[in-house]
Amino acid sequence: MDTDGALIERSVRGRPDAFVEVVRRHEVAVHGFLARRAGGQAADDLLGEVWVRAFAARGGYDPGHADARPWLYGIARNVLRACWRARRDTGPAAAEEAVDPWDDVVDRLDSAARARLLAAAVAALPAAEREALLLVAWEQLTPAEAAAALGVPQGTVRSRLHRARSALRPVLAPIPESAEEKK
Amino acid sequence: MTDERADAEGAGLLRALGQVAPPAPGVLEAAREALWSAVAEEMLSAGQTGPAGGAGRARAAGTDRSRDGTERRRTEPGP
Repeated sequence: MDTDGALIERSVRGRPDAFVEVVRRHEVAVHGFLARRAGGQAADDLLGEVWVRAFAARGGYDPGHADARPWLYGIARNVLRACWRARRDTGPAAAEEAVDPWDDVVDRLDSAARARLLAAAVAALPAAEREALLLVAWEQLTPAEAAAALGVPQGTVRSRLHRARSALRPVLAPIPESAEEKK
Repeated sequence: MTDERADAEGAGLLRALGQVAPPAPGVLEAAREALWSAVAEEMLSAGQTGPAGGAGRARAAGTDRSRDGTERRRTEPGP
């Protein structure tokens, strides 16, 4: 079976329809990426835009990368940010926090107490740490793949992951033990 | 709780928080339609008719038929 890289290279070299196979391979995953961050309706609306942007940008893809998923997540992330900017009418120079969708995500989360605690702790993370963490936890990317999706060095992602996990550990401490400590 | 156990439990909880429903029927196909429009445009601008016997040709032909259909509707008499 051809790698994503081979298919994308073929699509650049006179067979643009080869790109559709790449989309078929990853469409459920990319829809999930969008849905987890913006809700199902927004994912439905934005998925086509991701494919069109990816198709237009495929000439810059390194065919040596067999799996296109990190690259596609990076494009989906840019599409989401553009959408949030447009919705909030904040202008192109808005800070990253101004387009942070986490409040919307929290609203969709399970109401179980521990899940809410964890969600609150994740919400309190700096956006850059949260993005790195969720690319690994939700999209099952390796740190190297998450770095590719975010366009930052691997070491940066590893540092962000370390800080994020350290920040979440207190939330994950067993509740009975905490009660015992108070006695 | 050790750091490793906390990380493992945290990863499990986070995965649970990230569960979403699969796309509804037709959503993926609709998104692919947007892509096919871009693909067909590039193929047409390059003077291609699509790969012999492949899905590309079928889609390119389908695109042409749609365009023809639109043109036919335009020639239909109005009410």
